[in-house]
Amino acid sequence: MWKATVKGLLAHKLRLALTALAIVLGVMFVSGTLVLTDTLHSTFTTLFDNVYQNVNFEVRGKAAFTGSAGTAVRNPIAESIAARVRSVPGVQYADGSVSGYAQFVAPNGKAVTTGGAPTIGVSFEPNPQLSSLHLRQGKAPTTPHQVVVDAGTADKYHFAVGDQVRILLAGPPQTFTVCGIAQFGTANDLAGATIAAFDLPTAQQLFNRVGLYDAIDVLAAPGVDQNQLQRAIARVLPPGVEVVTGQTVANEQSGSINQALSFFSTALLVFAFISLFVGGFTIFNTFSIIVGQRTRELALLRILGASRRQVFRSVLGEAAIVGLVASLVGLGLGVLAALGLKALLDAFGLTIPYGPLVFQAHTVVAALVVGIGVTVVSAVSPARRAVRIAPIAAIAETQATEDRSSNRRIVIGSALAVLGVVLLAFGLTKPAIQLVGIGAIGIFLGAGMLAPLVARPAASALGRPLARVLGISGRLGRENSMRSPRRTAQTSAALMVGLALVSTIAVFGASLSRSATASVDDAVSADYIVTNGATGAAGFSQSVAAAAGRVPGVTAVSSVYNGQFEFRGSVTNLAGVSPYRLSETVTLRMDSGTGAGALAAGDLLVDTTTATSKHLTVGTVVPVKFARTGDGTLRIGGIFKPNALLGSYLVGDQVFLSHFDQPLPVAVLIRSSQGASPSGEAAVKAGLSSYPSVKVQTQAEFKKTQQAQVNQLLGLVYVLLALAVLVALIGIVNTLMLSVFERTHEIGLLRAVGMRRRQVRSMIRSEAVILSVFGALIGVAIGTGLGVAFAASLKQQGITDIVVPFTSLVVFLVLAALLGLGAASWPARRAARLDVLAAIAAE
Amino acid sequence: MTLTGEASPDATASPSGPAARAVGLVKTYGASDTVVRALDGVDIAFERGHFTAVMGPSGSGKSTLMHCMAGLDTPTSGHVFVGDQEISTLDDSGLTRLRRDRIGFVFQSFNLVPTLTARENILLPADLAGRQVDPGWFDYLVEQLAIGDRLAHRPSELSGGQQQRVACARALIGRPDLIFADEPTGNLDSNASAELLAFLRRSVTEFGQTIAMVTHDPRGAAQADRVIFLADGNVVGDLAAPTAEAVLEQMKVLGN
Repeated sequence: MWKATVKGLLAHKLRLALTALAIVLGVMFVSGTLVLTDTLHSTFTTLFDNVYQNVNFEVRGKAAFTGSAGTAVRNPIAESIAARVRSVPGVQYADGSVSGYAQFVAPNGKAVTTGGAPTIGVSFEPNPQLSSLHLRQGKAPTTPHQVVVDAGTADKYHFAVGDQVRILLAGPPQTFTVCGIAQFGTANDLAGATIAAFDLPTAQQLFNRVGLYDAIDVLAAPGVDQNQLQRAIARVLPPGVEVVTGQTVANEQSGSINQALSFFSTALLVFAFISLFVGGFTIFNTFSIIVGQRTRELALLRILGASRRQVFRSVLGEAAIVGLVASLVGLGLGVLAALGLKALLDAFGLTIPYGPLVFQAHTVVAALVVGIGVTVVSAVSPARRAVRIAPIAAIAETQATEDRSSNRRIVIGSALAVLGVVLLAFGLTKPAIQLVGIGAIGIFLGAGMLAPLVARPAASALGRPLARVLGISGRLGRENSMRSPRRTAQTSAALMVGLALVSTIAVFGASLSRSATASVDDAVSADYIVTNGATGAAGFSQSVAAAAGRVPGVTAVSSVYNGQFEFRGSVTNLAGVSPYRLSETVTLRMDSGTGAGALAAGDLLVDTTTATSKHLTVGTVVPVKFARTGDGTLRIGGIFKPNALLGSYLVGDQVFLSHFDQPLPVAVLIRSSQGASPSGEAAVKAGLSSYPSVKVQTQAEFKKTQQAQVNQLLGLVYVLLALAVLVALIGIVNTLMLSVFERTHEIGLLRAVGMRRRQVRSMIRSEAVILSVFGALIGVAIGTGLGVAFAASLKQQGITDIVVPFTSLVVFLVLAALLGLGAASWPARRAARLDVLAAIAAE
Repeated sequence: MTLTGEASPDATASPSGPAARAVGLVKTYGASDTVVRALDGVDIAFERGHFTAVMGPSGSGKSTLMHCMAGLDTPTSGHVFVGDQEISTLDDSGLTRLRRDRIGFVFQSFNLVPTLTARENILLPADLAGRQVDPGWFDYLVEQLAIGDRLAHRPSELSGGQQQRVACARALIGRPDLIFADEPTGNLDSNASAELLAFLRRSVTEFGQTIAMVTHDPRGAAQADRVIFLADGNVVGDLAAPTAEAVLEQMKVLGN
């Protein structure tokens, strides 16, 4: 029996290849993601281990609380602690360090951006044993005007020792002389970050750390017991300061990056899973067709004594072999995919460092398990159908009836769909993303099972215009697509899933985009909005606001700050804004209390949503905690209507600055007496020309940027979903090939009575277009529903407008038709090439 | 003949002479040492307005002959003419057009497109060519073949005899120069066979249709004006105005 399975497979290599391809792509995606994230993981871990390998201990402020990104917020410690640490017996060397914001300006006058990685300034540690920076060229900085540049930045922007370089800082920008070029550990730079290293006093000055250190790094004398030393150091430290090993710091650093990586890896795996899910539909459909075509052969096996179990195993065995082959190929291609994913993310502005590829055993296991698993699971239902074939089918004329189980299908399909909707709704309100996913799967499976019910009339309706335009070829294509509603529906189902997701994203994105721009209208009254031009950058110099204030015609300037604080015991975001002439820059609609007045008085403002959920009223005094200043209280001075720019908690800039350590403004809002005019904009830009990292935009331009950011994200998601659509198209190619094969005789007959090759091709293409548009229509309908549901569930998070982008959806349908045409090209050519005589002789 | 069909211009270009003929027709299969000569220099002509039957044992080359003369297969050497047109040099497109416009087919089985109704099957060649058929001629054929009440049905809802009559209507509707019938009664019971043969006979007598039919059945061959016998790729006999007995006699001779 096993022999028959293998022989059968080998006899249909093409079928095997096409079927496997659907799984290959999904497995490729999975293994590519794993290889990429393992590689990144190993790169970062090695990097930080290298950096901290010589540091025995680090003395630092205790974390007041852990911020949402997993990074602890710590206070700087007094300089004097270093002397105490040095006096501990067993300490060979100890030196303080500080760090802060420093961004290079490239020779062309533009700010050096990193695409997400930080732009850091540090103090240069002269002791090479302790320092993570190793001079490649030049010497260490010793004067307030010298800087060491990381090798990555120096290479990229051709900075040489002796060059003048402008650096943007929290305060006004300054010009330095490059005195050295350094590597970070063994790498040219730290994971894409740029590093400017100053001598310690200069760094303390620049980063507002006069008399303070961020940390003290300690080298132990040789042969000293590390645990004893750590305890000894701890004894000399004042409260609020701790000592940890270098390894702990390295682990913390790589840990926080790996946490971000795992999020990234999960996101990619979701898309890989989507491709596999779609691939599963394709496998299911292919095996259904194959079992149908092999009815006679399987029945013959039954006559010859094969048991039901053997037939079942034979079909599943075929699936397992297909899955195995596909997984192995996909695994190999996965390595290439890792490079491709990296390039893709690069193209969308997410720069990530790269080390040698890491290929771990769990990648192989995952690839094989998902590849074989999806294939075999998808083939279970066709295999069960194969089992039900009666031996008599080998000799009887009639084929197994198709609609025997249709009632059961309707019941199960409806149940799945309803269950899916319920889970989805529950998941959205909770919110629990896994439930949303499972709900969506339920909806897709349900829709896939119910689709055959409407496939016939739908194909008939969709085919009508084709029949009219293309005449007999279109009519035959239409008839063929109506011939087996189940096959039509199953083939379209894969595309349905793909397009449903694409449409979901389109609706969600359009809503997000509209909401983002609407919230700008609602929240901002300023003429100009200044932000950091680079994606993912932290902020910009505090002195930007002052520079903007000096621009002629500017009547009001407000810096917007963002930070985290603890409100009644939970960490949340806090915004700070200047109350001076507030209404000229920010639209704050008060529900109760006062706006600018309360801010000026040092009160906290909350939005109505927060006030309602936390039962806050004007006058309530609430406990708060800041990383730098510790516990305290703030009085609620007013309650404002939700404002997308400012978030839920707002204080005046004086209060904000008193609680945060040298915060960088995230935006500066400017009102000009000239309004949003080209001359006004030119004046503001000229006034801020020494800050090339910032971007000056009018409200309208800012909105456009917001939209562009949403669109860029959408673009990335579309590209990732494209794979699922591709898998669906492979399914269509596969079905058409099987159909052409099945109808060899019929096509031969058509050719014999005078159908031209062109007409044969257009017949197959018509069928493909009907198949794909049918799938696309259901997909777009489901996707629109899902998108609306997602958007609606995020109303609290700022998606206030729900937009259905009809133009995009229509474009998707047209694209689906074109893709269907593309998918048909090979089967169509094959059908047209059929040898007429051989075709007539077939069967 | 009062009804004027809309056949292609070539069809009427040479009213005299045979409807189709082959000169020195050779068809070989396989490579050098395993070569099989299915047709070994056949000269044959199907007279216009005649019903010609082609008979011969299995492997005699009769199917190959029909395929070559109908533009389904290309000869290895020799010439095939339909009317005055040499078809052995036509490319696929030319052959397709030839089959569509000038030749009708009735096969043994699987004769109709399953997704199309009987009416659509009959109109198929005209539809493929983007032509209108003469409605009077259509109605006449449908009436003659007694399939008027089955026109909206699909092949799966028709009996074998009905299916084959629909196939006849499809072959005749375009008034082709020539109809090739490849064992048209092979899958039919004796009643249906007799009806079909009678109709083919009548279409020759009454409408002047030219028909060439491959058959195994001596009674079928007896309906023809002439029977040509093939064996081993050669014409080995030619019987005019045959009777079933004469055909049987000839077959026995050839069998020995």
